[in-house]
Amino acid sequence: MSRAALRIVVVAGFVFLYAPILSLVIYSFNESRLVTVWGGFSTKWYGELLRDTQILEAAWISLKIAFLAACLSTILGTLAATALARHGRFRGRTMLGGLVTAPLVMPEVIIGLSLLLLFVAMESLVGWPAGRGLTTIVIAHATFGTAFAVVVIQARMVALDRSLEEAAQDLGARPLRVFFDVTLPGLAPALVAAWLLAFTLSLDDVVIASFVAGPGSSTLPMVIFSKVRLGVSPEVNALATLVIVAVTVVVLAAAWISARRPATDAGPH
Amino acid sequence: MSDPFIRIDGVTRTYGEVYAVDDVSLDIRQGELFCLLGGSGCGKSTLLRMLAGFDRPTAGRIVIDGRDMTDVPPHARDVNMMFQSYALFPHMSVERNIAYGLHRAGMPKAQIATRVTEMLGLVQLDKLARRKPDQLSGGQRQRVALARALARRPKLLLLDEPLGALDRKLREETQLELKKIQTTLGITFIVVTHDQEEAMTLGDRLGVMNAGRIVQIGAPHEVYEFPQSRFVADFIGTVNLFEGTIAEDRDTDAVIASPEAGIDIRIPHAVTGTKGQDVAVALRPEKIVIARALPEPYDNTLAGEVRDIVYNGNLSVFHVLLASGKRVRVSRTNRLRAETEDISVGDRVELGFTGRSAVVLPS
Repeated sequence: MSRAALRIVVVAGFVFLYAPILSLVIYSFNESRLVTVWGGFSTKWYGELLRDTQILEAAWISLKIAFLAACLSTILGTLAATALARHGRFRGRTMLGGLVTAPLVMPEVIIGLSLLLLFVAMESLVGWPAGRGLTTIVIAHATFGTAFAVVVIQARMVALDRSLEEAAQDLGARPLRVFFDVTLPGLAPALVAAWLLAFTLSLDDVVIASFVAGPGSSTLPMVIFSKVRLGVSPEVNALATLVIVAVTVVVLAAAWISARRPATDAGPH
Repeated sequence: MSDPFIRIDGVTRTYGEVYAVDDVSLDIRQGELFCLLGGSGCGKSTLLRMLAGFDRPTAGRIVIDGRDMTDVPPHARDVNMMFQSYALFPHMSVERNIAYGLHRAGMPKAQIATRVTEMLGLVQLDKLARRKPDQLSGGQRQRVALARALARRPKLLLLDEPLGALDRKLREETQLELKKIQTTLGITFIVVTHDQEEAMTLGDRLGVMNAGRIVQIGAPHEVYEFPQSRFVADFIGTVNLFEGTIAEDRDTDAVIASPEAGIDIRIPHAVTGTKGQDVAVALRPEKIVIARALPEPYDNTLAGEVRDIVYNGNLSVFHVLLASGKRVRVSRTNRLRAETEDISVGDRVELGFTGRSAVVLPS
């Protein structure tokens, strides 16, 4: 393919991917109430947004849920990855590997529905979790966040030089000490990546949250979704633009962190 | 006789059907530098890992300084290992790498600082204490790994291919340095290597391994000059093997009839074996004298044609074809510059050797 043709394909690709987002950003600065008609530049919808307590509250709930779910996913993901990558063949290893990553391919509707049934049954049997709300959404998000975290962390753990852990052991460190002194620092980039992934997925989810949310625990995507059903308002465009900015900052930060901490598996091999 | 410092007693390690280490017994003295030598997959690394505690023997036991190590985990052993990949902790500086084992041993802070300084001096890395491993050269990393492994003053240091990743020149210097450090500290070293030259330079004794078994143990010159099997003769250095049968075996001399050599090889001592038994006569290339006409008589003389000359600088290796079709390698030190030209490819030559230099191996 000639250089010119190649360039056209690349440009077309970028347009295909980013033109919708760009138009959304542009229309968030639209003066007009009509989303499809340009009425001059204005930032008034951002002002409206800041006065909309329903949206602000939903955003705060979403951030809280995403933070807790991401932490939980990273911890559980690390434990499962350790078992899968470091403990050889044990009874039920294949089943654990399969079950842990099943949410990756399971339809979200099914996950949401089954979790809802579980929570209802648990409440009537053991009284916990009482009703649906923040807790149930965090648990639900952690279940599929863990699946992604395991994949990311396990890949890194397999690539880590095993002899580093053996060297620590050889120098007198007990297994738990080895894990904190050598394994965890080696995993750091993967832990950051897994946390960010779980955080983003949680922030993004509307299907599962809709099943397990209760009164007063509507997440941001749920609020946006319900608003858009009544017609797209420029306020939602402004909100989406802010989310895009936030995501971009986080992604750049993650890239910067992993560039500063290169994967140095010591040794000449 | 007092108990040996390290006793490896009938140790076997199997993985499924495979015998990685097969009934190995070995005694090692305190302060000795012992080399385990063998090709890849011979079991030498598995044996080392069992000494460190990373692997458990399927059968047999390992006793270090009177203590049975079978159930002792690696972190509780007074044994340290220098890994082939060095395994330096990438997120710690050189000094923190060296101090790591001392912290784990619960040594007081002030004492750790003194010991780290001492170790840095020992391996001449004083100026690089603050560097991270990825800011060091291969040779420097190797020395950090050595310092870290020695810092706890273990009873036994295990070294897995310690010089494998260094280039030739550096390797020769480091070999001598390693031996000096070992002598100074008086710590018992067990070195695993596939490099026979390295094993001979370093080791007080060698153990040659093949297919999970130790096939010969001895001082370097013993293993080189008196190999007990074709495998050892062939694995250590180069050798010419002449197949033959014992024609005569008396108290003072023996004769091996070798159609391959084209002569009856005379050996000036008795050999073990019965008359008519198939044997091989092993002869190192440097034990043979080559000339167009030998200036003095030898017990054994062969004749052949030079087919190839490999010039190595300090010595030349002549490939000589005998009438039987057997190729013989003969090496000769290039003592005079002109000598390189006195024999050329295609020349008829005579080869002479004394039977004292040959080793008769049972088939």
